Amino acid sequence: MLDHGDLTKLLQRALRYGGDHADVFCERRRVYAFRLQDGHIHDGTTSVVQGVGIRVVTGESAGYAYSDDLSFEALLRAAEAASLIARNAPAQTYGTIALQDERVAPLYDQARADHAPAIRYVDLLERADRTARAYDARIIAVNANLSDELQDVWIATSDGRFVHDHRPLVTLGVHVVASAGGDRGSGYAGDGGRTSLTYFDDHAPEMLANDAARIAATNLEAEPAPAGEMEIVVGAGGGGVLLHEAVGHGLESDFNRRGTSLYSGRVGERVASELVTIYDDGNLPEERGSVTVDDEGVPGAHKVLVERGVLRGYMQDTLNARLMGVASTGSGRRQSYRFLPQPRMCNTYMPAGESTPEEIIASTKRGLYAKSFAGGQVEISKGDFVFMVAEGYLIENGKVTAPIKNATIVGNGPDAMTKVVAVGNDARLARRHYTCGKGGQNVPVGVGMPTVKISSITVGGTGDDAG
Amino acid sequence: MTRDDAIEIAARTVDLALTCGAQSAEASLSVTQRFHVEARDATVSKLERSTGSGVHLRLWKEGRRATVASTDLDREALREAIVRGLDQLGYVAQDPYAGLPDEWGMYEGDLALVDPSIAQRDDAEKVADALALERAIRAADPRIVNSSGSHYADAASTIALANSNGFRGAYVATSASRSTAPLAQMDDAKRTAHYGTAARFMRDLESVPQVATMAARRAVEMFGARKPPTMRAPVIFERDVAAAMLSDIFAAAAASHVAVGNSWLAERIGERVGSANVTIVDDGTLPGRLGSAPFDGEGVATRRTTVFEGGTLRTFLYDSYYARKLGARTTGNSTGGGIGANNFYLEPGSGSLLDLIAATSRGVLVLDTIGFATEHATGTYSRGARGFMIENGELTYPIDEFTVAGNFPDMLAALDAVANDLRFDGSTVSPSFRIADMTVSGN
Repeated sequence: MLDHGDLTKLLQRALRYGGDHADVFCERRRVYAFRLQDGHIHDGTTSVVQGVGIRVVTGESAGYAYSDDLSFEALLRAAEAASLIARNAPAQTYGTIALQDERVAPLYDQARADHAPAIRYVDLLERADRTARAYDARIIAVNANLSDELQDVWIATSDGRFVHDHRPLVTLGVHVVASAGGDRGSGYAGDGGRTSLTYFDDHAPEMLANDAARIAATNLEAEPAPAGEMEIVVGAGGGGVLLHEAVGHGLESDFNRRGTSLYSGRVGERVASELVTIYDDGNLPEERGSVTVDDEGVPGAHKVLVERGVLRGYMQDTLNARLMGVASTGSGRRQSYRFLPQPRMCNTYMPAGESTPEEIIASTKRGLYAKSFAGGQVEISKGDFVFMVAEGYLIENGKVTAPIKNATIVGNGPDAMTKVVAVGNDARLARRHYTCGKGGQNVPVGVGMPTVKISSITVGGTGDDAG
Repeated sequence: MTRDDAIEIAARTVDLALTCGAQSAEASLSVTQRFHVEARDATVSKLERSTGSGVHLRLWKEGRRATVASTDLDREALREAIVRGLDQLGYVAQDPYAGLPDEWGMYEGDLALVDPSIAQRDDAEKVADALALERAIRAADPRIVNSSGSHYADAASTIALANSNGFRGAYVATSASRSTAPLAQMDDAKRTAHYGTAARFMRDLESVPQVATMAARRAVEMFGARKPPTMRAPVIFERDVAAAMLSDIFAAAAASHVAVGNSWLAERIGERVGSANVTIVDDGTLPGRLGSAPFDGEGVATRRTTVFEGGTLRTFLYDSYYARKLGARTTGNSTGGGIGANNFYLEPGSGSLLDLIAATSRGVLVLDTIGFATEHATGTYSRGARGFMIENGELTYPIDEFTVAGNFPDMLAALDAVANDLRFDGSTVSPSFRIADMTVSGN
């Protein structure tokens, strides 16, 4: 996008008042997408977003400016705007900048330069639509989206590193509504990854459509969720949203460096049941949350967050890592060139335990089986979280019984993690469709988990009190 | 960029689309200058200043539609993207309702969208604003020892729209905001809160002391919170939480949701669905408000639309596509591809929030919610919440880690009191209100 000479000039201009670090983040993102609605292809979208973000860091302060005008004059103006953060800092000069190309073994296909022929997208969407409609006569609406994104980033840093990453990302989502006698139920399933349409050869859209339709039909017959405290069994795969919210966000280094997280200063302490181990991994091939290099040019890594209940470390970007005297863990991510990077999760998961899922269900007298979540949110300083259950059932006397709908569960991260009483041997990653929002920035992530039982949690529904 | 320059670029883009083979086209250009400063303690922790621009195009041919977006305004780059969009369009189903709007124009009154004093403020003043807010939250209470940052931000946008039927329009609009997120600590317990203010005019922003006082109070008042009992009880939603509920009501009233069966309001026009307190209006013509503009995302003049009147559902909110599809007239709510709010709000009542609390013998005041579980098809609502227990008309103790749940048809029917504290700090806003009967799940 820009040659080493121009990048060096921009870095030098950005550091004209000094600073600890500067970087130039160049991005070009091309999205090609189709949307299906009412049994027909409803819309096609082409978008091209490109620009450059320039950052100057001094101490704990960051100056930032972006430009989508790529003329060198406009980029110099952005570098000057970013430089202002250091204007009143103690006088310092930055040494020579000599950019060196850095190569990191890629985690996903670097060769695909363009989207596939339009007919292949249309075909996948129509197959999903036909399958969902055929599942049940009560299906009244199917909406499906297929998006194919190719993001190229070029990152140059004042410590002389230059790195390029080419990141494909395909996502197929199917949303189904079922209706009968005034009741409605909806279901969603999505999949994809940092790959191409060939992924759907082995992960057929029919499988997604059947699952979305099954959940919609099940929710049509579901009873309102009960209200009150009860045992909860969280399903393998998509249950990993629990780790992402209840623990993951609290271990991002910005909150911990600033002391606003309840996990601040607690590395080495017990924060969960000893059954609990949690990893965040940016290195899993083709997963949504994987990064060959992060958005600061640092290679993705496997991080141990919690090991047998003990807090082991935080997820670090370069700014917070430097201030905390450690190395970046390759967790600096951003939505686009219009945003400063933040420490973020990549793919967060819990490895397998020893119980079988059957044993876990059988040991539950009365509780909620949360097979998958529609999403969640957490408050960082106290750790209170909430999840919306997408597919849930009652457990009565050790057996999964009636489907329930519209359950929200609330709890507290450390409290819930201390109450983990069983971890299944069925660990797996969820289907790839999760997106995480933080500080107004969305990035793709992955989650995973075995079947897990928590001894007590508050379920918020409108049904009878669980007592 | 001047308004005329912006219109010129939008119009040229429409011409380019027609040259490439579109039968009709619409182009909108937005150019936004943004400034943001974050302070933490005595440090300026972030300073951002940028200009972003982008063009958004809709193309039609033989009743088929495609969408093209680009931040690259170079003619050849736009041509390449348009050619791709037109190729995609060949795979889209014909839709008799697709196309440019049947009516277009502009609201002619003075909307007061630009505060010239924002451009005149220099950076040092803006930085001082954030630093002052940061000092003020720490001065407000000795337990406030930290923060996630205090912010000042402003923006000036030029929006231009042109279509192949001859519509040409542009406007400039400003906005400014200040917000803060103090952290209070007592022994090992940490509590955070967030409070902010936003407006088109500096003079309409709440002052630094006002924002700091409110944020600080919210952070410290939650110490010692416990779970409320699981019960059915009246719930008062403070205005910021109430505004989020108005967003859910907006979604159900949007014709795009109604048309695909994803709204609990479908087929209920003319029905009494709420209590007499439920009068909800969408109005894009309120001078100086954040949701006001002379025309919507497809060049239709904005207007005032009464959606609920004394509890009766009068209309859905439409763009021209869903208006044609559902046999109605557009209400000027197009975002250029979807349906969005102008200023969408619940009409305020006469008493204060304190009056509402005093008139509640046993219930819950909700100050903050987390989660986003609303099923628009059925109107089912459920959120994690924190706030206060109300006993005998008084706030007795803070409560958290509970949920409030209900469904919108029942909730609107039971909306039995509305306060007078409406503020226009966004495009979807509400005064505080009470719902007579909801499910509270605690322990």
